[in-house]
Amino acid sequence: MNDIFDHNPQGSLLFKFILLASISATVMVFDYRDTVLYPVRTTLTMITYPFKYAVNLPFDTYEYLVDYFSEHKKMASENRQLRSTLDLYVARNQKYHSIAEENIRLRKQLHAIPRMGEELLLAQILSVSGNTFRRKVTINRGANDHLYTGQVIIAGKNIYGQIDSIAPDSAEVMQLTDIDHAIHVVNKTVLKRRKKSTDKETKIKEQGRGALAVGTGKTNLLELRNIEANMDIKKGDIYVSSGLGKLYPPGYPVAVVSSIEYNSGDSFMKVMARTLTDFTQTREVLAIWHNKNMIVANEEEPESQLKKNKANEKSTLKK
Amino acid sequence: MGNSVSLRFTGAIIASVIFSFLLLLLPLPDEWLLWRPEWVALTFIYWCLKLPKKISIVLAWIAGLFIDVFHGSILGQHALSMVIVVFMSLRLLPRLSISILWHQYALIFLVLGTYLLINLWIMAATGNNPATWLYWLTLFSSLLIWPLYSWVLSFFHIERSRFDEF
Repeated sequence: MNDIFDHNPQGSLLFKFILLASISATVMVFDYRDTVLYPVRTTLTMITYPFKYAVNLPFDTYEYLVDYFSEHKKMASENRQLRSTLDLYVARNQKYHSIAEENIRLRKQLHAIPRMGEELLLAQILSVSGNTFRRKVTINRGANDHLYTGQVIIAGKNIYGQIDSIAPDSAEVMQLTDIDHAIHVVNKTVLKRRKKSTDKETKIKEQGRGALAVGTGKTNLLELRNIEANMDIKKGDIYVSSGLGKLYPPGYPVAVVSSIEYNSGDSFMKVMARTLTDFTQTREVLAIWHNKNMIVANEEEPESQLKKNKANEKSTLKK
Repeated sequence: MGNSVSLRFTGAIIASVIFSFLLLLLPLPDEWLLWRPEWVALTFIYWCLKLPKKISIVLAWIAGLFIDVFHGSILGQHALSMVIVVFMSLRLLPRLSISILWHQYALIFLVLGTYLLINLWIMAATGNNPATWLYWLTLFSSLLIWPLYSWVLSFFHIERSRFDEF
């Protein structure tokens, strides 16, 4: 007898189904077209963050331990090498600061807008998106560290991607290879080639030729679109960001051409390129602030930095 | 209807769903990602088969919402397809004799196929079409893992034969 009353009546199931399905459809439309649901997503991300962290913890610990117990000798030699590179970079940095100062002086003379230096923040990759066909990762920095949606993320000196959505303590980064992602790039190698030839006209002409590097959804692979059939391009050419579109800073390496296909009769070539960032190996990335969003001009900064550096130098000399 | 099934402890269904999320989030090498079974959907199908009276379609909706957050897909996509999974399983259930493995496979094939198809439609409509046949690999891996996974999930409930009580 109890069985009859206990059982979910089919009518109520159908009602619930229709209700939930229509709610889902509404939510989807809003999420696709509008930004009103961002707080909801942020809240859900925050709730699930500890869970995500807990799942990743054993794997991170394992990797940490493997790193920790790797051969001491190797570590020591690496350390020595890194120290020497560091010295090199300190010297280079010094040079950079003097150039920056000079630049500011010259810009002042020209009454130009001061160019800002770039600020960096190191972030760790927490987890990779479970969705096989998207290329997204979660990093352990978020709005609390003043990161923002659309911020550029780099790995080493290469571009990694941009921030897609953000929560207080984490952010989702869209990699260059995500199918939704595109970046405007220019060929850097071709300029070098042109420099050798004396033909100035072609050099100028080639400078403006860019391409759109669109993600393929596959690991480390980009497709370069809008490359005309008569363009000078070779396997191994390096493409750097052009800075068009105001999102990415110009001059950062993006990809190296891996294959070129051309069907006679087409107006464009099919060019594939490997990213210079190895997305399977990268564990740490840098979030950068470049002058697009750092509107608060602080002209004194490089100079004071220079003074600080000099002071540091003196103190080290005294020692 | 020979056996009576009861939960091993209160909240066992939720515990099993959390367990499936754990499997969903396990970091995998890139080559394995395509083969990842649809753990959460399988869990809900399992409970639909075992305890059709206890399973809540609202819970499936909430679980779907969390999948959307984890996958970074459009909010509501997996929520809708999870709701469809539960609804379809409950509706197909009386038409099959579920103790036969072959019938179970038929049900899972139909339900998961619909689940993947709905996801594919939504992804294509919002411009994230995976555009590869490899998308369907997960259906086969889910079917392959089913006997093992249903065995694992059987730890969440107690199954008594009618005659045990005498």
